[in-house]
Amino acid sequence: MRTLLKNGRILDPSINMDEIGSILMEDDQIIAVGADIDGSDCEEIYDCSGLWIAPGLVDLHVHLREPGEEHKETITTGTQSAAAGGYTTICCMPNTNPPLDKPELIDYILDRAASPEAGGVFVAPVGALTVGLMNERLSDLHALKKAGIVAASDEGAPIQDAALMTQAMELCVQFDLPIMAHCDETSLSANGCMNDGATNAMLGLKGMPRSAEEIMVMRNCLLSLHTGCQLHVLRVTTWGAVEMIRQAKYLGAPVTCEICPQNFILTDDMVGDFDPRFKTTPPLRTTVDIDILLQALADGTIDCIASDHSPHAAYEVDVPFEEAPFGMVGLESTLGLTLTHVTHKGILTPLETIRKLSTAPAKLLGLDAGTLQPGGTPVAQICVIDPDLDWTFDVSRTFSKGKNTPFNEVRLKGKGVLTFCGGEIYRDAQFNPDRYETFDLD
Amino acid sequence: MSYRNLLGIRNLEPSDIATLIQMASSFKERVNRGENTASPTKHVIGLLFFEGSTRTRVSFEQAAHYLGHKVTNFASQGSSMSKGETLKDTIETLRYERLESLVMRHPASGSAHLAARFFGGPIINAGDGQHEHPTQALGDALTISEKKGSLSGLRVAIVGDVLHSRVARSNGWLLSKMGAEVRFVGPRTLLPSNLSLFPGTAHYDLLSGIEGADVIMCLRLQRERMRQGLVGSEGEYRRLYQINSRTIRYAERDCLVMHPGPINRGVELDDIAADGAHSTIRNQIENGIFVRMAAFEWVFGNVPTASSQKSTAKRGKK
Repeated sequence: MRTLLKNGRILDPSINMDEIGSILMEDDQIIAVGADIDGSDCEEIYDCSGLWIAPGLVDLHVHLREPGEEHKETITTGTQSAAAGGYTTICCMPNTNPPLDKPELIDYILDRAASPEAGGVFVAPVGALTVGLMNERLSDLHALKKAGIVAASDEGAPIQDAALMTQAMELCVQFDLPIMAHCDETSLSANGCMNDGATNAMLGLKGMPRSAEEIMVMRNCLLSLHTGCQLHVLRVTTWGAVEMIRQAKYLGAPVTCEICPQNFILTDDMVGDFDPRFKTTPPLRTTVDIDILLQALADGTIDCIASDHSPHAAYEVDVPFEEAPFGMVGLESTLGLTLTHVTHKGILTPLETIRKLSTAPAKLLGLDAGTLQPGGTPVAQICVIDPDLDWTFDVSRTFSKGKNTPFNEVRLKGKGVLTFCGGEIYRDAQFNPDRYETFDLD
Repeated sequence: MSYRNLLGIRNLEPSDIATLIQMASSFKERVNRGENTASPTKHVIGLLFFEGSTRTRVSFEQAAHYLGHKVTNFASQGSSMSKGETLKDTIETLRYERLESLVMRHPASGSAHLAARFFGGPIINAGDGQHEHPTQALGDALTISEKKGSLSGLRVAIVGDVLHSRVARSNGWLLSKMGAEVRFVGPRTLLPSNLSLFPGTAHYDLLSGIEGADVIMCLRLQRERMRQGLVGSEGEYRRLYQINSRTIRYAERDCLVMHPGPINRGVELDDIAADGAHSTIRNQIENGIFVRMAAFEWVFGNVPTASSQKSTAKRGKK
């Protein structure tokens, strides 16, 4: 079967393409991209005029919660949420229960993600760096790699012991695994629940000082420099951490990092009177940090945008602030938030926006994603975006089980309206399938 | 039903504070004259203490007794909370047990705000973590205004473990809203590092902090702070921050020495400061009853119309 996506603005950062054109698919493959495509024999035509056609988005930082915390999210609901958010490839974090420290668990994740009920996106598991994420001994990283992990991480349980992290990096060099590091010096941040600043002082909440993040970013960057291990810093939130990473890159360390929308939009004072939806780790910081983070996103110091999708059940969030879990859902809001707060404000061009959301994260973990070129991915991965669609993010209508987000009912401009991963896996109600009929008259 | 919550001082208007102090003062006169102070409306009030307390709980019970309200006690020990019930579920249960108001003390900052979201009736915060303890501050304000006439223009030094103190926060908000100059005095490890949203200035040196002060409020120093390494030793704290016959001379001659209790005698205060002519510690305890009477009537909307302030009751469930 032939499918045509016609007359869209094709944004393919993998070859720096930004032009009006069409995409021709044969079954689940892209077979041609460009301005002069004959789609006369296509069974299905999507008119994409006024829309962007981009590679399917790639999220390096997702908590699918399975196994063990299916009350928060399942692989089925999480992948459906990803498809609705424009994603075609997501990395799932290892801090499940039990943590992803054994090959059997990786097999389980991949099986569940491939099942017909799932959302149809590719799930690339991230393995636990240490057994049980207990930070005592390293997992069998070789076996995990063979089972299909794309990186290893200490997410949720940052490794404090520098010697253990050095050993982890040495073995990850040997097995060609990047490390995704949760950077937090916990002797400084223990029991903290928000940024250490003016607001937590007022509210009587223990703070998480910026130095806790920055010290660990610096340590991990230095270990990466000296071992040669590829390091991806999860969720950068402070200007100091950005400067550490800038310096590490200057020194030639193989370091990359990500930012999440909450950290370039929200600030610590928004916690207000103890609203636990604003509780994240590392925490929301200040407007000074946001200015520098956005500059660093534009100048390339920050490589990509991730969601840090962290679903929780409602009853877990309706507790006193200091007892509430960290994190918020993000798969279905990250694209809209990025377009609204970054692209439409002129901080990134449309092509650079797609690079941060797709091509760059795919490239840094070597994932088969992030391009529209024929044969560039095993199956077609495409996200069609209506950049000017005004919409209200309504969390009650999301696919994710988690409804914990401070962005509920926020007005956004720009939305993913169609997602293809092989075939069509998501179509937004706002996308009119018949719209081509009114245009396709020539 | 129209009602208010008393969750903290920070969100009160100065006129609310003035009304509460005025009501407390009037209750005190009437109780001392042996008059009937029964409330025009009778309510069943739950006292929910998830943290140990003797004086505050007794004070609330006494206040309810003078007003003719019924009190029912609920402690976390032996309750459903110890069986794993969430705070939200406990609060909702008490709502459907038809308790009309809750007085709550809880170790988590912000827990009173959470209770207010789910209870649907007046919540009085009797101390939430390190956040606020509004009735303590109101009692202290009544004590100061009895001794000094007015709060406006006074210099008040709040000395000690400000970082971990709900009493310091509530008193700081109250006094600064009422026009006093508030100074927070203590070691760098026990003051917040960023005071830009805090109702006062920081002083790390005791003598400059209490210089010319009309009121010195001491805060309790918990032994835990020494174990945490926030204070080198009790001896060091005593040497640098104790209010005693030597250091008190730097304050005004007629300064008040206050303490929310319980006192670590010989640490925050020596005997002369605690028991001498400057000390208001006993007045504070007594006044605690009358401000809690005022707090009950204020949250239930029984504010005397004679009061010049117009009622700004929030209607219905917040």
